[in-house]
Amino acid sequence: MIRYPSFSFVFFIIFIAISLYQIKYFILKREVELAKINQDIMLTKSDINILRAELNYLKRPDRIEKLAIEKLNMRPILPIDIWNIEDLVSTQNIINNGELL
Amino acid sequence: MPNIRKGKLFVCGFILMASFFTIGYRTVSLANINKYDEATKVIKNNDTSSYIKKNVARGDIFDRNKNLLATTIDISSLSINPQNILNKKETISKLKIIFPSINETILLKKINTTKNQINLIREITPKDHVDVLKAGIEGIVIEKKNKRVYPGNSLASHILGNTDIDGKGTAGIEKSFDNKLLNGQDVNLSIHAGVQHILKTVLSEQISKFEAEGGAGVIMNVNSGEIYALASFPDYNANNYRKSSDEQLFNRASKGTYELGSTLKLITAAIAYESKLIKETDLFDVSKPLKISSRIINDDHALKLAINIPEIIVHSSNIGSALIAEKIGPDIQLKFLKKLGLFDTIKLEIPEIGKPQIITDKKKISTMTISYGHGISITPVHLSAATASIINGGLKVSPTLIKNSLKNIKKKRIFSNNTSTEMKNIMRLVVSNRYGTGKKAEAPGYLVGGKTGTADKVKKSGGYFKNKNIVSFTGGFPINEPKFVITVMIDNPNGQKFSHRSTAGWIAAPVISKLVTRIAPILGINPQTDKTLAFTNQLLKYKIRGDEL
Repeated sequence: MIRYPSFSFVFFIIFIAISLYQIKYFILKREVELAKINQDIMLTKSDINILRAELNYLKRPDRIEKLAIEKLNMRPILPIDIWNIEDLVSTQNIINNGELL
Repeated sequence: MPNIRKGKLFVCGFILMASFFTIGYRTVSLANINKYDEATKVIKNNDTSSYIKKNVARGDIFDRNKNLLATTIDISSLSINPQNILNKKETISKLKIIFPSINETILLKKINTTKNQINLIREITPKDHVDVLKAGIEGIVIEKKNKRVYPGNSLASHILGNTDIDGKGTAGIEKSFDNKLLNGQDVNLSIHAGVQHILKTVLSEQISKFEAEGGAGVIMNVNSGEIYALASFPDYNANNYRKSSDEQLFNRASKGTYELGSTLKLITAAIAYESKLIKETDLFDVSKPLKISSRIINDDHALKLAINIPEIIVHSSNIGSALIAEKIGPDIQLKFLKKLGLFDTIKLEIPEIGKPQIITDKKKISTMTISYGHGISITPVHLSAATASIINGGLKVSPTLIKNSLKNIKKKRIFSNNTSTEMKNIMRLVVSNRYGTGKKAEAPGYLVGGKTGTADKVKKSGGYFKNKNIVSFTGGFPINEPKFVITVMIDNPNGQKFSHRSTAGWIAAPVISKLVTRIAPILGINPQTDKTLAFTNQLLKYKIRGDEL
């Protein structure tokens, strides 16, 4: 003779089994999504790496130097182009004291 | 009856326990086990062409400022499975539209085979990839592959080296750090891309100008030994390694050994001061050539004088240097050369390193010729390290290509601080004094000091070429408080009308001037200050005499 508690146990097991079945496919679906996201990340990383290589190719010193000379009329820095900050301060003092006037 | 009841109860209990156990086990397994297998299987089944294997990409190589020097990118390659092609002519005509360079006859021959895969194009662009997919060509297989690229092309190519078709390092840093790079770890070099470019440009211009066979240059921090730039000519584009000649691939800076001539006189003078066997006031008669056994030692510009050590270095007197060496003796000379590491291969982080050759027979003639750089072949990196030890206060320097690698290593003392100070003064005189051989190394605004060297080129079969020489210059800047050592070597330059002679003073020294002017602002070295004026003034104590006396 089967009693109510036993029925409850059987239904409980069936309920858990069905839930687990659904969870399994839910998880699998999520894992597929996750794997696809990971794949997208890898592809994006690969694209970024190519862009990084291209950027470094474009900013290589010989190219920048050529562009700076040809397009911007720049030239290498000479010692006379470099000033010490102290010299600038003393120049300011001279101007303030009216010595240049 | 009670037994039957017990039996039923036992069976029900067992079924319930087994069910709970199964559900529990499955819950755990779903949570932990085969986490990726199920998903990757699904992705594989859905989309085979775009699936990428999850592997570790080879690490990148950076310069000291994190500029990318070498990296690995994904490329697509095109293959075809002839067994999956129904209409071969249609397939070929479709391919021809996208890839016009394809030869139809050869391709038809190729696909008339029983093979399952034929490689068509090793590298296709992303646009071609899309076009191939859009064209719906039968039997096409597009595979993702890794490719090592060097964005700087020929910048530091001798340092970076290369990898083989399987991505294994075969030369340079790629070979030395193969395991680290294969594990996806990056390598940060001590190289400064900007300084490297300037060295490469200035040196190659001079090599072309003097129609030389080649050359090499090294720029190194005098204290840490970090190499900021290392160049060798002829060079090559690192992306075309396999197409480059042996001559281009040869690293003259770290593997090539050369007799670097009078630059070695710096070492002779430093040994003389350090050994205390010679006083600064001691004079050496250089008015007559020295005849040792069958060999005659003479000077380019014979002086009718007896001169002291600073004058010997400034005038670059072979006779004077030989007389110093005679007084020091072979034991002390060889002991210091060994201490400076000129007997051993340099411990640089690339496989392309050369072993010095030195005559160690301790004969008088050998001691004398070694003193001015004959009978001793070393690499430009060896000379840089030795120069650094002379001007950095006397501490041994181990050159390195890796950033901060030798930061905490205690350095051995080779020369005293006094010897180092004396040598810095003399090196400055070589450039600033009217009789100095290195006057063309002067970079207005910066204090440069160093020594020139012109030596007959050694034949591979032995002996010397009559009309071929090696010119070099080694020095430091700012010489009052040295931060960097620069060594350049030019192999077999041809004297031009404007240069009068093919000596180091005319060919190698101007390279230093151009280099210092351009790299000093990048390296944060300011032009002259009060300190440097004080240094220049104290050089007045040296009375350098010349021909007019």
